[in-house]
Amino acid sequence: MPDSTTTLRPPLVTGDKTLSDVTRDICEPMARRPTALWWGAFSISVAALLMGVVAVTYQIATGIGVWGLNKTVGWAFDITNFVFWVGIGHAGTLISAVLFLFRQKWRTAVNRAAEAMTLFAVMCAGIFPLIHMGRPWLAFWMMPYPNTRGPLWVNFKSPLLWDVFAISTYLLISAVFWYVGLLPDLATIRDRSAPGWRRRIFSLLCLGWDGSARTWHRYETVYLLLAGLATPLVFSVHTIVSMDFATAVIPGWHATIFPPYFVAGAIFSGLAMVLTLMIIARKVMSLEDYITPMHIDRMCKLMLSMGCLVGLAYGTEFFIAFYGGNGFEQFVFLNRAFGPFAWAYWTMVVCNVGIPQLLWFRRVRASLPLVFVIAIVVNIGMWFERFVIIVTSLHRDFLPSSWAGYAPTIVEIATFIGSFGLFFTCFLIFCRIAPVIAIAEVKGAAHLKKPHAPQRESGAEKAA
Amino acid sequence: MNYSELLNHASRRQFLEAAGFTMSLAALSGCWRAPTVTALPFVHQPEGVVPGRMMSYASTCGGCPAGCGLLVGVRDGRPLKMEGNPEHPLSRGGLCAIGQALPLGLYDSQRLAYPLRDGQQATWDEVDGAITKQLAALGDDDAVVFVTSTVTSPTLQATIDSFLKSFPGGRHVTLDAVSSSAILDAHAETHGARLLPHYRFEQAKVIVSFGADFLGAWISPVEFMAAWRTQRTPTPDKPVMSHHVQLEGRMSLTGANADRRFRLAPSEYAAVLSHLAQDIGKRAGLELPTGQPPKSPLAQSDLRDLGERLWNARGASLVISDSQSIAVQKLVNYLNHALGNYGQTLDIEQPSRQRQASDADVAQLMADLKAGKVAALLVAGTDLTQNLPQREELAAAIKKVPLVISFAERADDFGALAHYICPDNHPLESWLDAEPVSGVVSLSQPTLQPLGQTRSILESLQRWQGRRVSAYDTLQAHWKDVIAKRAKTSSPFQVFWDQAVHNGFVEATAAAAKTTDFQFDKVSFPESQPAGEEFELALYSKIALTDSRHAHNPWLQELPDPVTKATWDNYVCLSPAAAEARGIVEGDLVKVTTASGVSLELPAMIQVGQHDRVLAVALGYGVPGTDRFAKIGPQWLEARPTVAPGELVGQNAAPCIEYRDKALQLALTNVTLEKQPGRRDIAKTQRYPSLKVPANVAPPGAEVREAVQETTLAAFAKDPHAGTPEVHDIGAGQLWPDDHPKLGHHWGMAIDLNCCTGCSACLIACQSENNVPVVGKDEVRREREMHWIRIDRYYAGDDDDLQTVHQPMMCQHCDHAPCETVCPVLATVHGAEGLNEQVYNRCVGTRYCANNCPYKVRRFNWFYYERDDDLRNLVLNPDVTVRTRGVMEKCSMCVQRIEHARIEAKRLGVPLADGAIQTACQQSCPSQAIIFGDMNDPESRVSQAKLNPRRYGVLEEFNFQPSVSYQRVVRNRDEEIGEQHSTGGDHHA
Repeated sequence: MPDSTTTLRPPLVTGDKTLSDVTRDICEPMARRPTALWWGAFSISVAALLMGVVAVTYQIATGIGVWGLNKTVGWAFDITNFVFWVGIGHAGTLISAVLFLFRQKWRTAVNRAAEAMTLFAVMCAGIFPLIHMGRPWLAFWMMPYPNTRGPLWVNFKSPLLWDVFAISTYLLISAVFWYVGLLPDLATIRDRSAPGWRRRIFSLLCLGWDGSARTWHRYETVYLLLAGLATPLVFSVHTIVSMDFATAVIPGWHATIFPPYFVAGAIFSGLAMVLTLMIIARKVMSLEDYITPMHIDRMCKLMLSMGCLVGLAYGTEFFIAFYGGNGFEQFVFLNRAFGPFAWAYWTMVVCNVGIPQLLWFRRVRASLPLVFVIAIVVNIGMWFERFVIIVTSLHRDFLPSSWAGYAPTIVEIATFIGSFGLFFTCFLIFCRIAPVIAIAEVKGAAHLKKPHAPQRESGAEKAA
Repeated sequence: MNYSELLNHASRRQFLEAAGFTMSLAALSGCWRAPTVTALPFVHQPEGVVPGRMMSYASTCGGCPAGCGLLVGVRDGRPLKMEGNPEHPLSRGGLCAIGQALPLGLYDSQRLAYPLRDGQQATWDEVDGAITKQLAALGDDDAVVFVTSTVTSPTLQATIDSFLKSFPGGRHVTLDAVSSSAILDAHAETHGARLLPHYRFEQAKVIVSFGADFLGAWISPVEFMAAWRTQRTPTPDKPVMSHHVQLEGRMSLTGANADRRFRLAPSEYAAVLSHLAQDIGKRAGLELPTGQPPKSPLAQSDLRDLGERLWNARGASLVISDSQSIAVQKLVNYLNHALGNYGQTLDIEQPSRQRQASDADVAQLMADLKAGKVAALLVAGTDLTQNLPQREELAAAIKKVPLVISFAERADDFGALAHYICPDNHPLESWLDAEPVSGVVSLSQPTLQPLGQTRSILESLQRWQGRRVSAYDTLQAHWKDVIAKRAKTSSPFQVFWDQAVHNGFVEATAAAAKTTDFQFDKVSFPESQPAGEEFELALYSKIALTDSRHAHNPWLQELPDPVTKATWDNYVCLSPAAAEARGIVEGDLVKVTTASGVSLELPAMIQVGQHDRVLAVALGYGVPGTDRFAKIGPQWLEARPTVAPGELVGQNAAPCIEYRDKALQLALTNVTLEKQPGRRDIAKTQRYPSLKVPANVAPPGAEVREAVQETTLAAFAKDPHAGTPEVHDIGAGQLWPDDHPKLGHHWGMAIDLNCCTGCSACLIACQSENNVPVVGKDEVRREREMHWIRIDRYYAGDDDDLQTVHQPMMCQHCDHAPCETVCPVLATVHGAEGLNEQVYNRCVGTRYCANNCPYKVRRFNWFYYERDDDLRNLVLNPDVTVRTRGVMEKCSMCVQRIEHARIEAKRLGVPLADGAIQTACQQSCPSQAIIFGDMNDPESRVSQAKLNPRRYGVLEEFNFQPSVSYQRVVRNRDEEIGEQHSTGGDHHA
């Protein structure tokens, strides 16, 4: 097994920490009262969430007509936001499961937050297919359950139904994976807590963790298995989401490239979101020693590679449209680039392919403000990617008589902002009640100063 | 023990006693039945009435003077669905949008339900008493003027005549909001009889129309469409069809259907007609009109070609014009006479009675009113002040008239000035007759009791003459005395009458009109009028609204104009060049000022094909009371009212009309146009006007979409398949076995685009049949109209030779339907007979099906569309579910009609015959462009139509296998171009 703590590689944790330093650094902010910064962020998030709740309530009470959709463009902000949030979730699973399997130890600093992000992002995503229905109170009809309506069943040919399964599976596995990973840390908090309600709650939550070798062994086995289970989901979920479009007949949607293209895009957007969050979190929660420039650098490299993949997909789409010789398809791509929504298309290209190229430069990757800006830009770009795919393909399809425009209403915008409110509210609460960094994993992976311990230790050895 | 005692001093026992009593009483009263509303069956079941079964009664459409034959579908005592009477000799089964929309007008809760006296509700006895008294007090010199729109009813005419006869100063003035007075006056001069010829388009091989919108709103469009259509179906064996040339200033529906269209300002008609008259007159060796023809705005070659075509088709050609210039109409008459068309394509022996107005009489009336010479004014069938210019002076003059009576169905603009409003019955509530063309007399029969205390005008007039006679008796008496004799029937009157009521019409030849020989000396070449730089204004009537009388009908207000595709508004149409020169974009407010100083401020509509110097504004808007539609659509956060506060639906353009040369001129010269600050969005149902994709995003080789295929007659004659685009042959091999074999019926439709004129009657037919909601202007603007069938209209060519195609587009019921696979809850499924079935109950509203529909024909219920007006809800078809919000809907191919026919066939024990099922759109199509039937039956009409070499399917190359097919457009032109759309310019709104 390669040793990650050779001097050639930068240390995963800086600041000359001891094991107890790690525990203290990560757990202490949770025991303290929230800072003013946290309260500020939390109130903004809750306000945004409430706005979203009002918007959705109004929409469900009044009708989908309060959105800017029309006879030609039947999906816009709703499904754009859905795909956007599902995509955000993907980096979490990638970092926690795929990088775990590849033994990328630097992941330990970010995986907990990334997993939480996955969970919250999938929650946000799940809302949109629900509320985009004309009659959301009948959403349970999407479930194949035995019913009294005779032979009435769901349509297994419909990609929307596949979505239901894909997203619910994904949410379930992500939640379990995240929770299992939390167990040793929950035990740590339990152990640090004074007797009282806090201790009792964490005792329950950590499922009686006793820190024995057998417990550790079982834990690691389960974690590995779950990682193995979650890995295919990284690919399957967005593959299935992409089939909402790929199996349709609408030019611009009907493309076999969509599954890999969507997976790459999802990971791309997810990495950008992880970066955004981590850069804030390390500052706000004083975790600079755990989320080091090295982590940021690696995330940037991963993001750059995904950005290039996405760029390749954009190019391939155009090439196939040209090479395929289908006039309708060719039109859609020309219309994307030069039609009424060209501004959205070029925003997408610049944000996703152009600006990330700056990450080739080490100095850019080392500059946190720049990386932060680029990550935000990528997030914007990836949102526009979904908007471009959905709206520009629909608004001018086969028969010119039905060509239409699209502009969002304030209700749609409020709902979109509300989804960010939900996401950040959840994330901020998470920061308060669970360790943002996987303490146990960091201890195991990082090269820490241990009193009375040899300078070199095996990477496989875990903290007690 | 009293109550307070009980409360204050009750012992335990007393308390329990009282409580027990109270509770048992409460329990008993709980058992009492809720008040019941009884629904009793008929004690005497009316003959033939079966609950839930539609009964058809023959009648006559009262929507306009065209008098089309009607079959009123009545269910459980309420008229619901208007259909054309296929036996009717004029309309031949067609019915226009206005006719289809009659029931909604019937169930209008704002229609007057009682007479008004000085604006206050009154009883008929009060009103009758007061009117009789005032009439009796009239002196011999007092003028009693009865103003009506064209009266085609012989009985009503006779009743009016007899009413007026009792007053020495009585006279009848006919006022048509869109008048054809000049045609009648021209015939008075050239033929010695003031008449409107009966145009017979079925005889016409060459039609040259100067502005006459005969397929749109001119005189009798349904009849003309049905006749025109007979000459528009070339077959491989007989590749002939009529040649239709339209010369016009504005872009009309008729121009959109012409084989060759020239842009010609109304003031230039005379010049072109003069040259044609000279040419034809010389060829015929006739006396030429006096004077010199002015300079022609048309190229010599075009003139020569026109003359050549007309001359070659002499006796089977037709020249018409909507001009209100008698001089122009005399030239038209000269041409038709020189071509020998009288007696062939124009019938003046049995002339039309659909326009009778004499504008000179109207002008005289206006002068008399202003001079205070009118003692009593009675107005029926028209809104006097709304439809005439100089409203304020007229209104002031009318206020001075001692007795003013209106027969209008509501307090309209004139009604507000009237002392009495004696509301006439709705056409569906009254007995009446009509003789739209001499010799064809049809009957109107009531299909329900009058909803309010309204009274037939026949009865009112009789009552005021002291006779208590019902409308029915008046009508029957007139038929017995006059019509039966004219019909020369040998059967007893009762038999004749019963047959007439059953059939809806009788043929009763009238005495031939007395005409003289052609008066050549009356025709002269008009003096040359050099075309200035000023605009000309063309006032026109829209297909659905004509004059102001239908403005309260929301179906018609929301019907997209077949040319502009605009709803809920009128506007100033101007050509792209004129707009560009003044920096005007669509929706900008512009001010149009006529030479007499009347101005209108309306949004601009950029209209291709419009003459660069011609502006066009539709009449029939700005009707008082239409502000009722302000909140007709869904009300929500960003909703904008259909009618802005303080405004009406559109603006009344009638004040621009000028009386000149003995006619109310609808075409005006010396008009100025100014751009105003501000905008008003026009709600259109189609934004992109062309099949040609925008040039900047057009892929090489795929610049033009082939949704509508076209060819020319010359190419068709050589190869009936001409115009077929080069497509990838999907071949016979299918990847999967057919999982939906249609073993029984396989319903399909064939639409002949060469017959479809785009008149949009099918839209309202469908709306009426299928309970399609009205959504209001804002929702249309947001591209959310709900019509299940739409008419796609595409332009090609350049402004000077614009070619337009119309394509009815509804659910194509694909055998490989993309919508079906994507619905997660199986709410849209494939029927065993090939129908694509939408299950409203099951739909959760993901809209995935609509996104995946290549034809974009699915309509989503974005809101709960108001159905709060109980009276209006009577118009709903009980066979069709009213959809709730959040579900998808679309054309069902009138599945309820299929089931009705199937049940009927089963009941009779006969196989379902071809033609037994007619979809709503098919039934009323005036040009019979739609055929529905069983594609599995090789003998069916639809199967035959699908063998037509002109057949094609839209987007067929994608293997959607649509059940609707189209027949290619054939234009009667000499060039052999299969795909004319690729040659034309690009019109991008």
